[in-house]
Amino acid sequence: MAGSSVGEGAPGESTERYRPPSGRSKLIIIVVALLVVTNVVTGLTAFYLAQPPVAVTPLCGTGASVRSASVSTSGDIGASGDASPVFTVHFAPPYRTTQATITLIGPWAGSEFDHFKPVLENFTTSTGIPVTYQQMRQEQLQQVLPADFATQTAPGDVIFMISSFIKANGPQHMIKVNANISDSDFLPGSLDPVKVGSDIYGGVYTGKVKPGFWYRKSFFQAHNLTVPTTYAEFKSLLVTISKIKGIRTPIVSGDSVGWPLSDVTEHFIATYGGASMHRALTNGTKRWTDTDVRAVFADRLVPLLAGGCFSEPLEWNTVALANWWGGLHALYFMGSWITGLVDNATDLGVFSLPPPTGTTTGIVFGGDYFFVPKYTTHQTEALILLKYLASKDGQTIQVKQGGHIATALGVPLSDYPTVDRGVAQLMNGVVILSDLDDTIGGTFQTNFWSQLQLLWVSPNQLDSVLAAIQAKMPAS
Amino acid sequence: MRRLRIEGVTGLLRKLRDRVSGALRGRGSPRARKAGLRIAFFTPALLLIMLFVAYPVLTTIGVSFFDANGHFVGLGNYQQVLGSPDTINLNGFPKPPPYGTLINNAVWIAIHLPLSMFLGLWLALVLREVRGSSWVKTAIFIGMVTPLIIGGIMMLYIYDGSIGLVPRFFDAIGIHSLGVGWLQRPTTLLFGLIFGSVWLWTGFSMIVYSAGLTTIPKEYWEAAKIDGTSTFRTFTQITFPLLKPMTIVVFTMSILYELKIFDLVYGATNPQGGVGGAADVLALQMFREAFVQLPADYGTAAAVATFLSLLTLTATVMTIRYMVKR
Repeated sequence: MAGSSVGEGAPGESTERYRPPSGRSKLIIIVVALLVVTNVVTGLTAFYLAQPPVAVTPLCGTGASVRSASVSTSGDIGASGDASPVFTVHFAPPYRTTQATITLIGPWAGSEFDHFKPVLENFTTSTGIPVTYQQMRQEQLQQVLPADFATQTAPGDVIFMISSFIKANGPQHMIKVNANISDSDFLPGSLDPVKVGSDIYGGVYTGKVKPGFWYRKSFFQAHNLTVPTTYAEFKSLLVTISKIKGIRTPIVSGDSVGWPLSDVTEHFIATYGGASMHRALTNGTKRWTDTDVRAVFADRLVPLLAGGCFSEPLEWNTVALANWWGGLHALYFMGSWITGLVDNATDLGVFSLPPPTGTTTGIVFGGDYFFVPKYTTHQTEALILLKYLASKDGQTIQVKQGGHIATALGVPLSDYPTVDRGVAQLMNGVVILSDLDDTIGGTFQTNFWSQLQLLWVSPNQLDSVLAAIQAKMPAS
Repeated sequence: MRRLRIEGVTGLLRKLRDRVSGALRGRGSPRARKAGLRIAFFTPALLLIMLFVAYPVLTTIGVSFFDANGHFVGLGNYQQVLGSPDTINLNGFPKPPPYGTLINNAVWIAIHLPLSMFLGLWLALVLREVRGSSWVKTAIFIGMVTPLIIGGIMMLYIYDGSIGLVPRFFDAIGIHSLGVGWLQRPTTLLFGLIFGSVWLWTGFSMIVYSAGLTTIPKEYWEAAKIDGTSTFRTFTQITFPLLKPMTIVVFTMSILYELKIFDLVYGATNPQGGVGGAADVLALQMFREAFVQLPADYGTAAAVATFLSLLTLTATVMTIRYMVKR
């Protein structure tokens, strides 16, 4: 032992305080060695265990194993409310009131909540009912609500929640609202996801459309690109884009838990399989392994994936958004809420996949649903809020803020910001469809996302992916 | 009969009260006072354990014998769990993942346990006699105090194909097949999470072993050096055997960690365990059955929970018995 005091005291006894030697160089060597060793071990293990990439003929230049872009430092991205902390805001009318305060639980935070605020301010002012807004993600509610319901309590008086949950729990734990809202006041089929038979267990607020591929108008103008009107033109557009300098892949794939990929997939199904195929898959009357369903994947989506037209899945509202806005990709499939995520929404353009002739196509519309639990202690006030949120008046205030499309009939197009008006117009002449995986929900949804993540990186596994999706379809 | 039983219980409680109050007031024989004090200190803890440990555990075991509709199904839920491809999926092996939750948990133990344990031991040894090592130890230990859900979200960015540190590193040194998003590929997803977790968990074994090293008298090493013993032999004959109590702690805690791993996987992937379910684990499977499935299947979730507890208990008991015996 360097620097030890052996021999200076009695045998077997240390008389001096032990002082370690200075070892700065040793320390540096250790840290460097640590970094190298861990990375090499990690790399070698993964290298030998990873399957080789599938050899394909690239459609969009670089092939399926194409790497995504380096990070863009573009600072053009606006705030996203997705990762905001849970918070509570109280709304009271500007005059003295004796009405009971009700609690509304909603998913919005950050800039999305700022757009929702005027709706609640108008409600409290016009009704005198104070509202406490509490933000809670629907994933959290999915864990909390079953336990609350079991003890006949609820965390709020009006709660925004995914439609499949409302449908599954409505008869037992939610108030039937047939007396408060009517089918005829909404876009056709809007209330279907929260109906059990003819009983309605929730209301529908505004929604978001998943209209198609978003692009920057300035990018299209700079490269003389035009919106495609046929599938051949769409493929040709992708090839053209892939040849533009600086482009990594024509389309960026957003990802998080998997829903952005399911949105793209649903768009392909609703366009090339038609609205009827989308509905049949949602209802479970058609199987994912059926020949015509497989054909939509095999003939349309898989060649684009295998051809390197899509990037690998990237975190949707940070990396993917920044890369796309920064010009490393030209197209981004996303819902209409994207208009609130970019700095300059007037530069946004959107087009749907060109439909084949003779097919009735559809567009997925994801409404925001809410319900009143049976265990509310302020039923009258909660039902007034429910009726207001579902009304033309409430929704008009929301659509004026941008990023939302009304489900209530009678909201004039002139109340929409320009970019949303374009989205609303895309819905003309197509069938409005409910979000497939939100409607089915449960473990089907999470499995569907995971299988599509797999398809994105291993398009050659199409058949096993479709079989795995079908295996988790709930028994109808 | 019922009255008799109530009187019996009342009598017992009265006796307990008398003993405790007697002990507290210093009355009775010293032995009785001692017994009274024992009861006084023991009872609250016992009641808490009964209420918050024994009751939930027994209820969970009970629930595992019933289906989603409340019908008794015996071991049906266990059969369903163990027969499900979500749990074991080795059909057509060798094949790419997913292999199922049970296999994935086993892979976690097989890779994560030795790596984190020996890396921690190695760090504790090499940093033992270096000035300024406390800074390095602190930096490594930060992983340990980071919530695992945050660790999972950090993995999203560390392994991101576009901006991730790990893919960029391999791309830079020419291994382009690893310069891609690790969490987006079933073949790298599980390993990525395991290696990421080694980084987070190594601080634990390093600190435990560092503490253990301070308990070994340095005269042992000095004597070995005087005798001309090699460094390797000193390690195998002196250092490692004397660190056995620490090894038991690290081994047991690491196995528990690997069996109940949840938040890291959930944060980095989704409730299904990521792409194709390649990183699915037992705890995530339990969560899915209870909180994602519509309607919730508490019977199956309880079966997974009971199975997981049994595995944990078995691993812990076997480890401790084996290591204490030796």
